[in-house]
Amino acid sequence: MAILDIHQVSLSFGGLKALQNVNLKIEKGTTHALIGPNGAGKSTLLNVLTGMLKPDDGSVMFDGKPLLNVNSYDINQLGIAKVFQTPAIFPEMTVLQNVTIPVFAARDGSFNLNMFEGRSKQRPLIEFAEQQICELGLENHMHSMAGSLSRGDKRRLEMAICLANKPRLLLLDEPTAGMARHETEKTIELLKSMQDGITKVIVEHDMNVVFSLAEKISVLAQGQIIAEGSPDEIKGHPKVIEAYLGEAQV
Amino acid sequence: MTTQNNFWQHNRTVLIFALIALTMPFWFPLMGGYSGLDTKIMIFCIFVVGFDILLGFTGYLSFGHAAFFGISAYVTGIMLKSFSDNIIPAILVAVLAATVVAVIIGLLTLKRTGIYFSILTLAFAEMFDSMAMSMLQKWTGGENGLTGMPTPMLFNLKMQGDTVFYFVTLMAILLFYLAKRIERSPVGLMMKAIKCNQTRLEFTGINARKYKLLAFVISAVYAAIAGALMVVYEPFVGHEFLGWHQSGEIVIMSVIGGVGTLVGPMLGAGFMLYFENVLSVNLGEQWLLVLGAIFMAVVIFMPGGFMEGIARLKKRYFTTVDGE
Ligand SMILES: Nc1ncnc2c1ncn2[C@@H]1O[C@H](COP(=O)(O)OP(=O)(O)O)[C@@H](O)[C@H]1O
Ligand SMILES: [Mg+2]
Repeated sequence: MAILDIHQVSLSFGGLKALQNVNLKIEKGTTHALIGPNGAGKSTLLNVLTGMLKPDDGSVMFDGKPLLNVNSYDINQLGIAKVFQTPAIFPEMTVLQNVTIPVFAARDGSFNLNMFEGRSKQRPLIEFAEQQICELGLENHMHSMAGSLSRGDKRRLEMAICLANKPRLLLLDEPTAGMARHETEKTIELLKSMQDGITKVIVEHDMNVVFSLAEKISVLAQGQIIAEGSPDEIKGHPKVIEAYLGEAQV
Repeated sequence: MTTQNNFWQHNRTVLIFALIALTMPFWFPLMGGYSGLDTKIMIFCIFVVGFDILLGFTGYLSFGHAAFFGISAYVTGIMLKSFSDNIIPAILVAVLAATVVAVIIGLLTLKRTGIYFSILTLAFAEMFDSMAMSMLQKWTGGENGLTGMPTPMLFNLKMQGDTVFYFVTLMAILLFYLAKRIERSPVGLMMKAIKCNQTRLEFTGINARKYKLLAFVISAVYAAIAGALMVVYEPFVGHEFLGWHQSGEIVIMSVIGGVGTLVGPMLGAGFMLYFENVLSVNLGEQWLLVLGAIFMAVVIFMPGGFMEGIARLKKRYFTTVDGE
C-alpha cells in the first residue's frame, strides 16, 4: 500500500517549471531514493511534501489524508519528519534539550498551555529523549551545546530530533552532502539500522549511498520523473544515462 | 536526587531574590536610596522579568511595551478615581484591558520578524500615546497627566509607604517565581526554541506563532501589572508612561543586565534606577554621559550583560562545576 501518493504535481517559479506533472507513489516501509541532476527539482518536491511550498496543481495524499494547504507543523504531527541538507538543530541549546522538544511535541501536539509543568518531573519522557541520543551515539555529548558539535554529530543530532518525533515517513535531503567518507559510511549504517516501519525518501547524489540503501529509485530531470524502478533497472536505464551525461556518476 | 535538593535547586534564585528584596528597606537607605525608590525598583523588576519572557526567550525585541504599562496605569487611575478606591478591582480591570490590547497588537505585529516587528510595536505604542494626548484627553488629562486619585486602599488598608513596598515586593517575588516556572516548563522550552531555530521548530510539529503570541501576551500582562502598581505607588499617570522613551529604558535595563536570564534584567532595572536617582546627584550634569559610557562598555565587552560578568567571576574564583 502506498503511504504517500503524489499525483500530477506541478509547480513553477515565475517562468521556470520546477515540477511538471509529477506522479510518485511511495510504498509503506520502503526506502525510496530520489535522484537526478542538480536543479532537477528534488528539493522542491520535498518542500511541497513538508508544506513549505504550495504546488500550482496536483494533489498529495499521506496515509489517505490530503497534505496540500496544511501547515508544516500539522504535517509533522501527522507523521512526516525531514532531515535538511544543512543540519537544522537548535544550536544554543544542549543536545538533551534539542531532543526533548520533539518528545513534548509528540505528547502535547502543536500547542499546549502547560506553562507550569516541570519538564524534569516527566522522567519517562526525558529518559526516552536520552535513549534516542544514545542510539545515535551522542551519549558523551548529552549536555554539550548543540552548536559546538562536529558536522557529522550535528547530522546525528538532527536525526535524533526527527526520530524522537516518532515519524512514519522520514524525508532526507542529501544527508551525506559534505561528509567525509567514514562519516558517510556511518550514516548509511545508521539509516539501515533505523527501526523498521519508518518509510524513507532519500535525495542523494552519492550513488554508493543510493544503491546500498534504496529498494526503489525514481529519477527526476527538469521537473519530470523520467524513470522509476529497482536499483538494477535504473543502473542500465538509457534515459538515466542520458540525463546524467557529463556528470558521469552512474 | 532527593526532592528536597530539587526544591532548593529550582527555587534558589527566587529565595535569594526574596531575601534581598524583602530586606531592602534596611540596607537600601545606607547606599543613599531614598524611601520609595526601592518600591519603584521592585515595580520595574516586574516589568523587565515579563519583558524577558518575550525578548530573552523568543528573541523578539518589542519597542512598544510602554503601551501596556501606560494603558494599565491610566485604567487603574480612572478606576480609582471614578469606581472605587480599592486597588483590587482597579488592577484587575486594568490588566484585563491591557491584555485585550496585547492580543490584538500581538496578532498584528507577530506577522513580521526582526526589525519590522520592532518598528511595528513602536508604531502601535506611539499611536496610543497620541490618542491619550488627543481624543482621550478628557479621561487621561492630556499633557497635565491624570491626577486627583484618592489614597488607594487594599480593602481597609491604606496603601502608603511600607505597605506599598511590601505589597509590590510580594507581587514581584510571586511573578518572578511564575516566570521561573514557565522557564522550566515545556512552554518555556518551545519559546526558547523560537529564538534558536524557528524553521526546525515548525518542522518538529510546533505551532511557533501561537507560542510567540503567548510570550507576547504574558510579557504584556507583566508590564500591565507594573503599570497598575505604579499608580498605587504614586497616584499620578503622565503620558511619558506610554512613550517610546519608557519602552527604550526597559530594553536598556534588559541588555545591561543580561537578556534571557530573568535575573539579569532585574539587576539592570535596579542599577538603572539607582543610577538615575542616586548617583546622578553626585555626578551632576554629566550623569547621562557616564550612563551611556557604561552601557557601551557592557555591550562591547560583556554582551551577556552583568550576568556574563558574574558568570566569569564565578568561573575564576570557584573552580567547582555545578550542574546547571
Ligand atoms: N525559491 C526558489 N525560487 C526560484 N527558483 C527556485 C527556488 N527554489 C528552487 N528554484 C529553482 O528550481 C529548480 C529546482 O531546484 P531544486 O529543487 O532545488 O533542485 P535540486 O534537484 O537540485 O534539489 C532549480 O532550477 C532552482 O534554481
Ligand atoms: Mg537540492
